[in-house]
Amino acid sequence: MKYLPFILKHLRHHWMRTASTVLAMVVCVFLFCTLETVIEAVNWGLRSANTSRLVVRNAISLFYSLPLTYKEKIREIPGVRRVAASDFWLLSFGGSADFFRHPSYSVDAEEYLAIYPEYILSAGETKAFLEDRRGAIVGPDTAKEFGWRVGDAIPLEDRTANLKPFEFVLRGIYRVDNVRYPGTDGRILFFHHKYLEEATQNRAGAGFLVVEIEDPQQASALSASIDALFENSERQTRTETESAFRAGIISMAGNLARLLNLIGVAVIFTILIVTANTMSMAVRQRRTEIGVLKTLGFGSRLVMALILGEALALGALGGTLGILLGNLAIEALPGLPAIGWAVQQFPNLGLSPAVASTGLALALLLSLAAGLVPAATAYRGKITELLRTV
Amino acid sequence: MSAEPQPVPEEVAVDVRDVRRVYRRDGQEITVLDGINLQVVEGEFLALMGPSGSGKTTLLNLIAGIDQPTSGQVRVAGTDLARLSEGALAQWRSRNVGFIFQFYNLIPVLTACDNVELPLLLTALSRKERRERALTALKVVGLADRANHAPRQLSGGQEQRVAIARAIVADPKVLVADEPTGDLDGKSAHEVLDLLVTLNQDFGKAIVMVTHDPRAAQRARTRRHLEKGVLEHRGVPNEVGP
Repeated sequence: MKYLPFILKHLRHHWMRTASTVLAMVVCVFLFCTLETVIEAVNWGLRSANTSRLVVRNAISLFYSLPLTYKEKIREIPGVRRVAASDFWLLSFGGSADFFRHPSYSVDAEEYLAIYPEYILSAGETKAFLEDRRGAIVGPDTAKEFGWRVGDAIPLEDRTANLKPFEFVLRGIYRVDNVRYPGTDGRILFFHHKYLEEATQNRAGAGFLVVEIEDPQQASALSASIDALFENSERQTRTETESAFRAGIISMAGNLARLLNLIGVAVIFTILIVTANTMSMAVRQRRTEIGVLKTLGFGSRLVMALILGEALALGALGGTLGILLGNLAIEALPGLPAIGWAVQQFPNLGLSPAVASTGLALALLLSLAAGLVPAATAYRGKITELLRTV
Repeated sequence: MSAEPQPVPEEVAVDVRDVRRVYRRDGQEITVLDGINLQVVEGEFLALMGPSGSGKTTLLNLIAGIDQPTSGQVRVAGTDLARLSEGALAQWRSRNVGFIFQFYNLIPVLTACDNVELPLLLTALSRKERRERALTALKVVGLADRANHAPRQLSGGQEQRVAIARAIVADPKVLVADEPTGDLDGKSAHEVLDLLVTLNQDFGKAIVMVTHDPRAAQRARTRRHLEKGVLEHRGVPNEVGP
């Protein structure tokens, strides 16, 4: 510790060089934290997918619905346990039109709740919801955000099909158990698909059908059977496992995680080179000083440790600032106009301690790697050569 | 060339015997020092003179333990330097030799006091003790009032005095000075030489000083002359005035 002031005085004296190196580190750690957080959020969402659930949708696109009659036909296929219709709705409520932050689904309530045990309701709440066609249930996050309680009337405006305003009665607030069911979204509002059918004079259809199967091993075969069943119909289907369905939605533009990782690696590598070059130049400019330290009795190892210490101090400073900046950016992401909607799909988006500490470790490792060559040069340098003035 | 090894008297601070230093450059051998024998007793103030390239600085580096002879023996403060590992030699230097450079070589990011304190970082002294000793050393060189000044805020003469304070702060037995007045004006050079004389006479430091300047050499007790890597046989005693 007695050498710390020595190291810090060097960094302060060459503040321009220090600032630029720290800035490079900040950018590196900031990018790492934000990219990793997004990747982690994507993976977290996929973890909640159940292997015994299939999703059937229109083969053309999610924007085209399926006839509700498909439900019965699918239910008759051996190996299928339950089928529920579901659809994603752009409903604005509580003054919010933030559809992705406050998602709404119309569902065949009884089957849907049986297929999705992760939305935990008391027996009383389940009964009240199933018996009331105007009933709705909501996740604890949204209920807390709007201060809703069971029994409240919730007016909603439709932005999907421009239907007249709805008014639901809140019959339950589901609970989530992220230990048993990791990745459960605590923000969704569910209401009866039948209510929607009435409101649209049975023109609603189903955005997609959720199918619970008896044996996850048969997922591929059953998917093929379902698609084969509607091969010659007007609306062909595309059936896939729930995780594949979610992954497809999340990475419509390609392999998002790989793309983000590649960008991250490229940035980190570039910054490593820049930092290593800066450190080398700094040490080259201080040849005489290193010679003087060795003359005074500073051993080669100690001199090497001082240079590495300087590099680590830069890494620690850059890493910490990068994490703080990354955290601010992640908090601000959902509010950004261009990409906010996409980010809002990840309910757990936030800088995790694991990502933050990996970011800091990365900064330290990067600075150590950058300082290694100049430190080794200082270690090997002979005093008489170091003291020679050019 | 080499005589029978003579026993080293207690009071000998520096004992250089049959030292050769050969550099190899581009496949050629360049003999910089050839058969050097030199004894410096405790309390001695020796000026090493000679033209450029005569090997003065090389001999000084060998005495300071920052270079190794190709052959021969260098004993300083009773220690055979060839027997020490690199780490032990570094530790030995911090305790036994103070080095004064021509261009002062203060660390620009540190204050005068921090610069003087540097060698003490290698000791077990507390921060307070280190600071006290550094201030004492600065007081000896007459710069206690400049303790918190950065090197760039000091004149050349003052910088060299701070460098001298740094050289003496660990209380070494031997001081080696490489052209200590070579970068100074006449007045500052005079002050620095006065200081070296004081350190020699009042504090009993053995000093080996390399210089081109005959007036500087005149301040030492003895002068030796190096010519093409060979030391002249006998030293010339100076008449050192009060």
